[in-house]
Formats: sequence, C-alpha cells, structure tokens
Amino acid sequence: MKQPAPESGSEPIAAAAHRPATSRNNVVIEVERVSKTFETPRQGKVVALEDITIDVSYGEFVTVVGPSGCGKSTLLRMIAGLTPLSAGKILYQGEPVRGLNTKVGYVPQESKLFPWLTLEENVGFGLDPRRYSRKEREDRTHNFIKLAGLEGFEKHYPSQLSGGMAKRASIIRALVYEPAVILMDEPFGPLDAQTRMILQDELLKIWEQKRQTIVFVTHDLVEAVALADRVAIVTHRPGRIKDILKVPMDRPRNIFEIHRQKGFDEAYGRLWNIFRHELKIRLDQGQSLDSQTLSR
Amino acid sequence: MPDSNSAGSPEVGRPYRARGLWVNLVRLGVIGGFFLLWEIASGRWIEPFLISSPSRVFTSLIDNIQSGTLMEHSWVTFKEIGIGFPLGALSGIATGYLFGRSRTLAEIFEPIIMAIYGIPRTALAPLFIVWLGIGIWSKVGVVFLLTFFLNFFNTYAGMKQMDQEYIDLARLMGASKWKLTFRVIFPAVSPYILLGVKTSIPFAVIGAIVGEFIAATEGIGFFIRLSAGVFKTADVFVGIIVLMFMVIVMNKIADLVERRVLQWQTQTEHVQIQG
Ligand SMILES: Nc1ncnc2c1ncn2[C@@H]1O[C@H](COP(=O)(O)OP(=O)(O)OP(=O)(O)O)[C@@H](O)[C@H]1O
Ligand SMILES: [Mg+2]
Repeated sequence: MKQPAPESGSEPIAAAAHRPATSRNNVVIEVERVSKTFETPRQGKVVALEDITIDVSYGEFVTVVGPSGCGKSTLLRMIAGLTPLSAGKILYQGEPVRGLNTKVGYVPQESKLFPWLTLEENVGFGLDPRRYSRKEREDRTHNFIKLAGLEGFEKHYPSQLSGGMAKRASIIRALVYEPAVILMDEPFGPLDAQTRMILQDELLKIWEQKRQTIVFVTHDLVEAVALADRVAIVTHRPGRIKDILKVPMDRPRNIFEIHRQKGFDEAYGRLWNIFRHELKIRLDQGQSLDSQTLSR
Repeated sequence: MPDSNSAGSPEVGRPYRARGLWVNLVRLGVIGGFFLLWEIASGRWIEPFLISSPSRVFTSLIDNIQSGTLMEHSWVTFKEIGIGFPLGALSGIATGYLFGRSRTLAEIFEPIIMAIYGIPRTALAPLFIVWLGIGIWSKVGVVFLLTFFLNFFNTYAGMKQMDQEYIDLARLMGASKWKLTFRVIFPAVSPYILLGVKTSIPFAVIGAIVGEFIAATEGIGFFIRLSAGVFKTADVFVGIIVLMFMVIVMNKIADLVERRVLQWQTQTEHVQIQG
C-alpha cells in the first residue's frame, strides 16, 4: 500500500531535517497489519481495528475518516504508544514503537488543556527548558498564541475560555514544540461551521510553513478532502482500511471556497462513492446508522 | 390568595447585598440573644458552677492572660499541633501520592492501612503515652496519627480519580519526572489534598487535647481538665475559646492557601465529597 510522496513540490526543509539517513522511502510511520481487540469484563471482546496497514511520509497530511466508533481514536493512540496493540506492528522512523512515542505530538479529541495552568503555560508546556532558553520559550509561545488569535487571553485559565478557544489552544500546544509528527483527533469536531473553517485555514497555513507530518482524524468528508494529501477510509466495526485516496489538489488551498477548487469535486465524488457503498452495506445489514453518516 | 405574591417571597427581588446584610444581622441577633440568655440564666435558673456566665468567662480570660498561664498552656498545645499536624499531613499526602503512582505498593499495603484505619484511633492515645512519655511527644504522636489518615485517604482518592489522559499527554510532551509530578499530578490532585488538610484541622486539635486529657502536666487540655476538676467552669470555657481560636486561625490559613492554589477552579467545579 505504499503511496508516492504528495505532490507538494520540492521537499520541505523542516521535514527533511527530521529525517534520519537510514529511513527508507521518506516514510516516518509504518502501521503494519495492526489489530486491536478490547477485552471488557461485561461485553466481552470488541474488535476495534482489524488488519490496518498504512504508511505516512514526512511532511504529509493524511486524514482518516470513518463513522463513529470505528476505531479512529484507537489508531492514533496506538501510534502515540498510549494503547498497546493486539497484533501487528507500528514503526516510527523504522523503529518499533515501544512505550510512549514522545516524538509525536497529540491533540486529543477533547481539548484536555491542563485546567490548573494558564493559557500561555498550557501552550508552552511542551517546550523543553533544556532545548529552548527562557526567551525562546516566551517568544514561541507568544507567536503561536498570536497565530491562533488568542492574544489577550494569555493569563486566562481554561475554564475561562470558550470551547473553540480551548480547542485552538490545544492545537497550538502540540504545534509549538514542533514534534516531527502531529496526531490530531477530530480537533474541530464540536465547532460551528464558521470557526471550523477559520481554524482549518489557520492549520493549513501553519502546516504550509512548517510542513510537519500530520495525521488528522475526522468524520467530516469535506474536511477530510479539503485538508489532505491522502484520505484513509476506515469502515465500521470491525474497523478496516477500505481504501486510501490521493487528493491531487493544488496548494495552498482556499478553504473558504474549497468547492470551487480544481480537483475537489472529483476527489469528493470518489470518497462519497466509497462511503455510499459502505452505507448501503450497513443499511442492508439493518444496522442502525449514525446520524452523522446520513447527514453527509 | 392574590396578595400573598408580594408578601410571600420578599427575597426574590431583593438585591444580593441587602440580603447578605439581613442574614448577618439575624445571625448577630441569634448569637447576641444566646449570650444574653446565658448571662440571665446563670445564677437565676442554673447554678453558676455548672454553666458559668459570659461575664465570668470574660473576666477569667483576662485574668489568665495577665497571669501568663494561658500563654504557657497554649504554647505547649500549639507546639504539639505545630509539629504533629504538618508532619502528619505531609506524610499522609506523600503516602497517598506513592500509592496512587504504584499499583504494587497500593496492593501490598492497602489492606494493612485499612485494618489500622478500622481501629478507633483515639483509643491508641494511651499507648502513645506509654511509648513516648507524658511530655509533648506523645501528643505529637496522636496528632500525627489523626492527621495522617485523613490526608492519606483524600490524596489517594484524588490520585485514583485523576484523569490518566493528563499524565499521558504530559509524558508525550516530554515532561520530566519533576515536571510531571509538580506541574501535572499535584495540581490535578490539589482539590483533594486541600480537602484532606482542611478536614484534618479539627482532628489535629482533638488529637492534642485527647492526649493531654489522658496524661500531661501542661497544655490547654490539661488546663481544661484541671479547671473542670475543681469546678472552675469559667476557666474551662476559656480553654475552649482558645481551642476554637486555634481551629479558626488554622482554617483561615488553609482558606488563603486554597484560594491561591485553586484559583484556576471555578466555583462550580469545587470538589464536594468529604474524606
Ligand atoms: N478503553 C477501551 N475499552 C474498551 N473498548 C474500547 C476502549 N476504547 C475504545 N473502545 C471501543 O473501540 C471502538 C473504537 O473506539 P474509538 O474511540 O477508537 O472510535 P472512534 O472511531 O474514535 O469514534 P468517534 O468518532 O466516536 O470518536 C469502540 O467500539 C469502542 O467501544
Ligand atoms: Mg474518536
């Protein structure tokens, strides 16, 4: 299932710097035939993911779409080393992930800002004092807070922020210390359409500057296409990768008029076709449908 | 009853401040009335040696302060609490933290601690006198024992309740052990820790007094027992006033610390459970 590098023109500098000489084919994350079965005392075994294989290259923006409960969060948590695998293996820069993978940044599904730290303390949390001087830490934190439009709220606690602000803060908390790979779990999930677009736009702008590798989970098909170099489609229980679609759209992209951009309709159409097929299977099986799947 | 609307619920439209004033006034009235009743009852309806009277208590308070007796005894009790309470609280918090961090430790020692907890702890006070003598150290021991458990249980409960995801996130962000402990775990558990500290304050005072009741040559507990023995009821109340004063001061300090440490919490998020 190896896919060629995204057509993002020349190799970005930031990404190249992260790449060790030994790594093959630009690949930073290799998920190989991974399965995950949860054992619960009451409900017995739940097969969350089955036989998942996907590679992610340096500087690539991969989105993962699938219905609620198909195991998207679980996949991210396994890449981060937060959840052990049941079968298969996950390599990071060619090395198997053992324990926590501190090389990746992780934006959890809920914002999970530390409630006892102020906004700026939260954002600067990942900046290692052994790597950055005090001045550098302050500057970086400040720059990202500005970038996320959170100026003036530096001294506020998370309980004093709106949900959208907290979300933005949790995203820049992962961006600020520039981990080579950032895993984002439905970061814009609960936001209104406007805020969502603004944040998608901001995220793409930041990413185009830094070209970190991003794995981005969503259940929104438009979002999946609009942001991605490639879209991985995960099926409903057991979660399997149904297909991985390339999105050959130019960058930089205009999120606000993404429908008009060349290539969008075609990519969205292909994604929808696969989804429609999935939907039909689930309808035929008489399974209950998640409202979100229907509303697309 | 159409007019009961206006008379029935007068507080509804009243501004908050005015209501607060009203509450304070009524409260002052109740307290004042109580003291007045006490003063009148004493000597008329009830023997003064049983209940003394506010004026007698006040006079003997002044007397005891002037003679230096009260200061001497207060100082001893203060020392016992001042040593036993912080030691008990800190070791309770530390043990709770360690149990929360190490599953093995918790599995081995939890039943043992629960068994010790099952003993009425004040019943151990005489044993402390046997072990540590009748000086301040036996009382320090009792204070320590009472404080330790409350702090331990609250901290441990907080550790168990804590959202593991915060620890995972901090570690993913490369937090050092020190940073994880003092920037993540302790702040996360701080509402529980402070609850433990606050609930243990009155128990620390109880510990010191119980110890002094059993065997002592000085201290407020000793002073109270001595005074009661010779029916100097006013002096008993003087001792009680000192104890109340100690608890109030300690509570105030704890409140100040709490307000500083928990300033990130909104009102509604305050922990409600008691340890
Ligand atoms: N710790 C756990 N113990 C038991 N089962 C779990 C656990 N975590 C997840 N599961 C199960 O695994 C499946 C996938 O969960 P996961 O959270 O990965 O879904 P998701 O795709 O992220 O869903 P959503 O879009 O709603 O966030 C679900 O059926 C869930 O019940
Ligand atoms: Mg999820």
